[in-house]
Amino acid sequence: MGNKIVVPFGSQHIALPEPVSFLFDTKNEIITDVRVDVGYVHRGIEKAAITKFEFTNVAYLLTRICGFCSITHAGGYHHGIEKLLDVEAPKRAEYIRLIITELDRIHSHMLANAHVAEVAGYENLFMQGVKDREIVMDLLENITGNRIQYDIYTIGGVRRDISKETAEYIKKQLNKLKDKVLKVYDFYDTDYTFGLKTKGISYISYDDAKKYNVVGPIARASGLATDARAEFDYLPYDELGFEVQTRTEGDVWARNIVRQMEVVHSIDLILRAIDNLPEGDIKVKYKGRPKGETFVRVEAPRGECFYYLKGNGTKVLERVRVRVPTYSNIPILKELFVGEKYSDAQPIVLSFDPCMSCTAR
Amino acid sequence: MVKMFIESFKNLFSKPETVKYPFEPFPEPEGFRGTILYDEELCIFCDRCENVCPPGAILFEIVDVENNKREYNYNPYLCIYCGACVDVCPKADEGCLTQVNTRIKPLGNEVVKNKKLGYLINKIENPKEVEKAWRELEIRAKESREKYAEFKKQQRLKKRAQAQKAKETKTDDN
Repeated sequence: MGNKIVVPFGSQHIALPEPVSFLFDTKNEIITDVRVDVGYVHRGIEKAAITKFEFTNVAYLLTRICGFCSITHAGGYHHGIEKLLDVEAPKRAEYIRLIITELDRIHSHMLANAHVAEVAGYENLFMQGVKDREIVMDLLENITGNRIQYDIYTIGGVRRDISKETAEYIKKQLNKLKDKVLKVYDFYDTDYTFGLKTKGISYISYDDAKKYNVVGPIARASGLATDARAEFDYLPYDELGFEVQTRTEGDVWARNIVRQMEVVHSIDLILRAIDNLPEGDIKVKYKGRPKGETFVRVEAPRGECFYYLKGNGTKVLERVRVRVPTYSNIPILKELFVGEKYSDAQPIVLSFDPCMSCTAR
Repeated sequence: MVKMFIESFKNLFSKPETVKYPFEPFPEPEGFRGTILYDEELCIFCDRCENVCPPGAILFEIVDVENNKREYNYNPYLCIYCGACVDVCPKADEGCLTQVNTRIKPLGNEVVKNKKLGYLINKIENPKEVEKAWRELEIRAKESREKYAEFKKQQRLKKRAQAQKAKETKTDDN
């Protein structure tokens, strides 16, 4: 019945955006075992954060952990340090933070979905997704001054304000984007051949998701309604009527649909935030140095991101610990491969939207 | 099917979404975080920008220890364009450090030349030497700091000795 063959997938592979290595033991194209190595992009950022940088500018380092979740890391760090220093950002700053965070989520989700479409054989859909994503990137560049590294967070507020013209521009562009997203959403939802490639692949049940502590869109696609935005009060999501988006199918298709639903919901959230943007300052002054320890949970595009900070009253922090969403999704990813075809391995990996720069740091 | 054909025809004759980047400049929006320019005449040499810079792309070298004359050096190829230096600059409103919304060309066959980019980058001709020259400058700048500290210490000692002498002569008179 065929020999056992080891097929490597990664560390450099055309379907992978970042280096990660999978070694598949296959028998007649069916995967029997898998070994994962995630440590290819280790840069020692946690160590650098507690030795070389002061607490005022360590955020510039932490946001450069990853390109997609740069605002998540900025959020995790700043919400934590604000707790330690006992400052509260003004309402307007909170709203601007929320707008940037959600824009970041939109572009990350759109690229993730486009990648799944690409490895499932829909290169045109990939181009369509990336083309539409450019609208969001332009918006981010307009508001913050950069496409990837926004650096808009600062201790006690934000560094830039949103002017009236920019607000109008955001509204106009987002309405345009919503039409385009809904068109693509319709395609993901109804296309027959795309369904054949993705429906029923790598099924995660509700119980499994709970048992393996899955986070993010992967958990929500299995019906597990876990979302730090709803559970942990760090930005004014409640005021804007945030709802957790869930599906119950638990396969590659459902994860794509959950991401599309979140993109549409995020657009709604931003439009509501811009309409209700409060007047006032964008920054408050702070005093003193961080002392004590705290933790923060923020929702990254890929799931829940956990920050632990410890200060000892000096300029340099004593400990910065980051636990990123991809790290907690790897155990179930390993289980899922067993019994699937090798040809489905790429959509499975990409449907998890792995972020290796975050995981290895 | 008909819908699909209409869509494809539209795409055939619509404008391309991409920018022909190396041949055409990439359009920068208003408020883009680009190159950091420096005006020596307005600078008060407080060294705040050097201390805050996350990658260490700004270095002040003390060229004349006795008069405390400093030279501003900036490496645009090491800079991460976060704009933290402009935020802390006390003279930023007057235009000492400014972040303009244009970007410099990437390091190719030539090194960018501009008087407002600091001293070091204007001295280098060969782009391959930028990194080496910056490393050397880092060591030089550190040494010049130590020299300056030593000079200050000597001066302080001298002053104290003079003061003591003056005191002694005073007590002798009495």
